[in-house]
Formats: sequence, structure tokens, C-alpha cells
Amino acid sequence: MLSILIENMGLLCSRQRPLTEADAKEKSQAAEIERRIAQESKIEKHIHKLLLLGAGESGKSTIFKQIKLLFQTGFDEAELMSYISVIHANVYQTIKLLYDGSKEFAQNEEGSSKYVISPDNQDIGEKFSQIGDRFDYPRLSKELAQEIETLWKDDAIQETYARANELQVPECTHYFMENLHRLSDTNYIPTKEDVLYSRVRTTGVVEIQFSPVGDSRKSGEVYRLFDVGGQKNERRKWIHLFEGVTAVIFCAAISEYDQTLFEDENKNRMMETRELFDWVLKQPCFEKTSFLLFLNKFDIFEKKVTKVPLNVCEWFKDYQPIATGKQEIEHAYEFVKKKFEELYFQSTTPDRVDRVFKIYRTTALDQKLVKKTFKLVDETLRRRNLIEAGLL
Amino acid sequence: MPLFQLPVWRRDGEIRYDTLCALDLESHTVINQKEESFREKIDLKTMIDELDCVEIPCVFICPISLEPMLDPVTLCTGQTYDRANIMKWFSMGHLTCPTTMQELWDDSITPNKTLHHLIYSWYSQRYLYQKKRSEDVQGRVKELLETLKKAKGQTRVQALKELHQVVSAHESAKKTVVDENGVSLISSLLGPFTSHAVGSEAIAILVNITLDSEVKSSLTQPAKVSLIVDMLNEGTLETKINCTRLIEILINEKDFGSEIGSSLSLLSGLLRLVKDRRFPNGIAAGLGLLRILCSYKQVQTLVVGIGAVSQLVELLPNANSDCLEMALSILELLSSVPEGRMALKDCPVSIPNLVKLLMKVSEICTQYALSILWAICKLAPEECAALAVEAGLAAKLLLVIQSGCNPALKQRSAELLKLCSLNYTATIFISKCKLTRTIQ
Repeated sequence: MLSILIENMGLLCSRQRPLTEADAKEKSQAAEIERRIAQESKIEKHIHKLLLLGAGESGKSTIFKQIKLLFQTGFDEAELMSYISVIHANVYQTIKLLYDGSKEFAQNEEGSSKYVISPDNQDIGEKFSQIGDRFDYPRLSKELAQEIETLWKDDAIQETYARANELQVPECTHYFMENLHRLSDTNYIPTKEDVLYSRVRTTGVVEIQFSPVGDSRKSGEVYRLFDVGGQKNERRKWIHLFEGVTAVIFCAAISEYDQTLFEDENKNRMMETRELFDWVLKQPCFEKTSFLLFLNKFDIFEKKVTKVPLNVCEWFKDYQPIATGKQEIEHAYEFVKKKFEELYFQSTTPDRVDRVFKIYRTTALDQKLVKKTFKLVDETLRRRNLIEAGLL
Repeated sequence: MPLFQLPVWRRDGEIRYDTLCALDLESHTVINQKEESFREKIDLKTMIDELDCVEIPCVFICPISLEPMLDPVTLCTGQTYDRANIMKWFSMGHLTCPTTMQELWDDSITPNKTLHHLIYSWYSQRYLYQKKRSEDVQGRVKELLETLKKAKGQTRVQALKELHQVVSAHESAKKTVVDENGVSLISSLLGPFTSHAVGSEAIAILVNITLDSEVKSSLTQPAKVSLIVDMLNEGTLETKINCTRLIEILINEKDFGSEIGSSLSLLSGLLRLVKDRRFPNGIAAGLGLLRILCSYKQVQTLVVGIGAVSQLVELLPNANSDCLEMALSILELLSSVPEGRMALKDCPVSIPNLVKLLMKVSEICTQYALSILWAICKLAPEECAALAVEAGLAAKLLLVIQSGCNPALKQRSAELLKLCSLNYTATIFISKCKLTRTIQ
């Protein structure tokens, strides 16, 4: 035994072991892995990461879909078909919300009969209220579509729709209700527009990688865009993404100054956006990140601002209209823009003042507009890159 | 072909100056005026005035006036002068040749036609060349403006770049741009979706041309203004300076000054220009516009809010005299609001930097510096006065009082001196008043 001990002594600590074949292989594998890591890190450095942030229903996912349509191969037929269930679900959810809403209004406004559904339609209403409660919705057939249309055209429902800002009715309502016949066709294949309007709450994180085309084709810039959930209860999921992003695209729906949150009906959506923007600006990981603020849903804002004054939102309470018509819309928009600008500078300490901050007016559903906007975004980020590299 | 008017020497010996014929300088033939119509009668004096020639051959210059000769005449000594000048010389009673100082034995003056011919043709050649070049330039400008009406993308950027070059090199190009409605065309290219490349070139051109009131008021639209502010924040130094100049041009439009002054993006962009020590031109441009904007009360608070005070104070020691005056003027305006005074007090180097500037650069700088120090010391007398005295304020104030500057300034200095002396006993204070270094 002693001989065995003597033989093995020192073998544990000694490095000068003759390389066996297995060792050599391990070494070369390790080297290969190291090289691949170095290579990928190098590539990663050239990929600009963009993070889409914003409150719920601010239009982040729509922008995401638009980028997919503009710079990737778009949606193929299978993907388009996969949206059918979402679109039909939206229809059921919406009609249920409107029906339930009309009942609520009718109850609260004793004496007024404007929210009372006509007797013929009441059964239809109850039926859809129940369907809307289920987890799995039936496929939208022609008959069901017809019934929904009848209900939609009911005066009470239209009156309820006029007060849609008090309910959590999504913005795609009008669009889908107008297209019910097409949506319920047996051979229905959703169009790009249908997909853009469809609404499903994003959970988790979605990402796409793309290269913008056009003048910058030669530069070979690659972007990776991340879309995250917007509701309050999902924000903790974003945190691990915050490291190393080139830019944050913050979506703020400026049309929702008179609406309340999905998660908390006592909270005004614009105030929520304001708090979120403030919070995001102050995060330490965004010290050097460029901020691109998309003031979204301008099309709805345009129509709303002449009818519903901005002062209903506490943040905009010092707004004074000065004109009417188009001039007033522009004036209101400039006011909102200035408020966001003020907020940015208030939340930015002097050492961070050098980061890029730009505001864009967008309507995420308009593909041409998104394309033009993104061209500008691309130019800004490329210039920033060159400036940081000392080449400009 | 250059034409030259010859007085006709008639058979009877009379020289007629009214019947003129043309001498074709190229072929040296005489063309009768009645036979050929003149294309243009180019007057020598006009050509000399319009051409800015640097290397005029010295033989063309009159020794008396040192200007090119319009009507050279030769004296009997063989020296040539301009007729008007030598006649004046003679009318003063002199009968000598100005350059050789010889007494004239013959008072005849001979017109030096050869020299006149040479001077005329020399100028004509250059004049026609310049005219042609200018026509080329005008033609090019028209072409570029046509291109701009239709081009997109890179073509548009290239056309603008070339137009910018042409306009910078030739004055006549500017006029052509204005005449061909180019200004409103270029201004219409600016909008919410204008790329930086297009915008920066467009602004570079507009800044060099006088803008009429219609264009100016269209440039004050919010979308265009946002674009200009964005470019000021993101552009190269040249673009940034062009943007500040353009804003200065527009500042007198109705309400524009106070509106744009409240744009925090603009103010922080200007501050960034001022902070960048590498480019003194940028600093001067930024300070210039900042001073104009700070004349509006509401802008003053905003400017303090973005941390301008400490930045301005820190640049005082190294600034050249123009920048110094502007920076001090801004700080004085800012010291008129409470937030500004607080910021000045909180900045640790404000007092030392300001004290150093007293009586160092100019009277106006001393006035500003004194005013600011007064504001700081009034805010927190014990604390700040002590700091100021430690920095050598007392000695400087004495200098001011003894100097030849205006009485109001002396009065101020005396008051400040009194304020500072309150916390010291007489002997200690006097010791603080001694100058430790001579002032250059």
C-alpha cells in the first residue's frame, strides 16, 4: 500500500501531466467555445437594441407589427390565419363590454331611457354577454355576425359607445364592427390592417431582429427590437432587459387623456403614462440611453381634442385653447409635446443631459408614417453612433 | 469681342470726339459705328469699379493718385499720368514733372493712346470673363433649383450641398436664388419628416441669404422650429452655429423670441454648445443667442433650471474677452431672479472667478462682475462676504474706487466694500485690502 501511496503522491497537485488525447480534445473545444463567444460578442456590439416601453395599450405592439411588416418578410398566410381567433375574440369582448356597459348606465341614470336596449335585442345582448365570459369563443359565423351587427346598431349601444372612454372598450371597436361581414366569412383571411388593429395583451417579451433598408442598405445596421407587456403587473419582467440598450422607444398614447386604466379604474391613463415615463427616465441603467418618445394615436387625438378639452386631465389643467379647427389641434399637440419635454428635463439630472431625446408624432396604424418616422429614428441613431466613435 | 471707342481724326486736322467708331481689338480693324451696332458700350470706369483686381500691372497706375488711369497723358519728360490728376497739379502752379522733379521745357500733354488701349483691353478681358462666370453660376443655380423641385433622397442632399457651395462662393448666386423663388422652395423642404442631411444643408443656405418677412414667418411654424432645434442639438459644429444664426434672424418675429426661449431642448442645446471647450466659435455663438433669450423673464428661470449658472461660471477663467462679456451679461440677468442668485451662491467657484475679473478686462465686465457679486453677497452676507474677502475682493474694490470708471460703479463698489467690512475689525480688514500681486 505504501508503494501505491508513494506512486500517487504528488499527482494531484502536479501540472506536468502528460496530455492524454481526451485532454487535448477538451482543450481545443474550450478554445473553440472561447472563439465563438468572442465572435458573437463582436457581432452583438453592432446590433443596436431597441426597447419598446410604454403604458398598456399605448401602441407598442402595433409599432412592433409595423416593423415586422416593413422590414421583415411581413406575415405569411399561416401567421395571418393565426390572428383569426384573436380578431374574433376582440369582437366578442367588445360587444360584451358595450352591452354590459349599457346596462350599467341604464341602471345609474334612472329616468333616462337612452341606455335601455330595445326589447328585441335584449336576448341577443344576454347571449353575447355570456359568450364573452367564456374562455374559448366560438368561431364567428355569419349568423352570429348578423346578430352582433343588429345589437351594435341599437341606439342604446351607440349611446354607450359615445361614452366609451369610461369603459375599457378598445380602439379597434369601430373598425371591427364595420367589417363584421368580412370577418365572419368562411374563407376569411385577415388583412394586414386587421392584424394591426387586433388587440391582445402582450405577456412576456417578444423580439425581432431586422435591418432597415433604403439609403442605409450599405451600412448594414442591425436592430433588435423588444416588445414587453405594458400593464402594471408585468413591469417586473422588464428589468433584466435594461442593460445595454441603444435606445428606448417610449410610446405614449396622447388620445387617452380622458380614459382610465384597465388595471385600476380610478387612475387616469395619461397620469399613469406620466409616472411611468418619469420612472423610466430615472433608471440608472438608462444613463446613456437615447430616448425616442412616440406621441402615438394622433389620429384619435385629432378628433377628440376639439370635443373633449385637454383640461380634463390633471396634468394638462393649465391648457388654454386659442383657436378652432386645425390650428387648435396643432396648438393642443404642441402643448402636450411641451409638457412631455418639461417632464423629461425635470427628470434628467445635469450629467445625463447629453443623451439624445427626440419626440415624434405617430399614428402606429399608418404604415407610411411609421416608415418615415423610422427612417428618421435610424438616421438619429446612426449619427449618434458616429459621434460616439468620434467620427463626426 | 472687346470693342473700343476711337475718336476720329478727320482730314482737316480736327479731332472729333462725337463720331466714334469701334476698334476691334482682336482683329485690329476699325468698324464704323454706323455699320455695326455695338453690342455693349463698356465704360472703363464702370469696369474698374466692378472688378476687384488685386494684381493690376504697375504701368497702369497713375503715380499721383495710385489708381488705374482712365485717360493717360504723357509729358515731355516721357512720364505718363492720368489727365485729371496732372491738370490739377498744373493748376496748383507747378511746372515740373511730379516723378522726375524736372522742370518742364514743353507744356504739351500728349494723350497716350497705346496705354489707354492696353488698360481698356486688360480690363475688358477680365470683365467679360467674370460676366461669363457669373452667368454660368446663375445657370447652375437655376439648374439646381429645378432639380430640387423633383429630387428625393440622396439626389436632393447632393443638390443642396452643391447649391450651398455655389452660394458661398459667389455673391451673384445669392441674388439668383432669391429671384428664382428658391428661398421659399428651400424653406418648404423643412418639415417634420425632413432628414438631418437635408435639413442641415438647407439651413446652411438660408442663413446666407436675406430672408423676406413671408419666409421668416413661415419658418416660425412649430414643425420647422422643432426641426431647427433638433439640428442644433445633433448637428456638427457648423450646423449648430448656422441654427443659432437662423434663430437670431427670426427672433424679431412676433412672439417668436419668448416662445422659442421656453423650449428647454433649445436651451439645453445652447448650453451644450457653450460647454464644449474645443470650439470657441461654438461657445461664442451659443452665448450670443443665450444672451438674447435671457432678456425674457420667463426664460431666465428655465435657464437656471438646466444648470447654466455653474457652467457659465466655470468658463469664465478661460474665456476670451467677447465671450467673457457675454457670459457675464447673462449671469447678471440670471442674478436678477431668486433661483439664479441661489445657484450662484451654491457654485463654489463663482466668487473667486468673479473677483479675479474685476478691473482685469474692461469696464463693462467689471460692472457686470460687481453687480453679480453684489447680488450674491446680498443674499447671504456673512457667508459670502467672508469668502469674497478671502478671495481678495476688498483690494479690488479699492482699485475700482480709485480708478477712472463711472461714478455709479464707484458708488456700488463703496457699498459692497462697506458690506464686506461689517464682519471684520478695522485692522484685520485693512490687512485684507492689501494687494498681493500687481495687476497687469
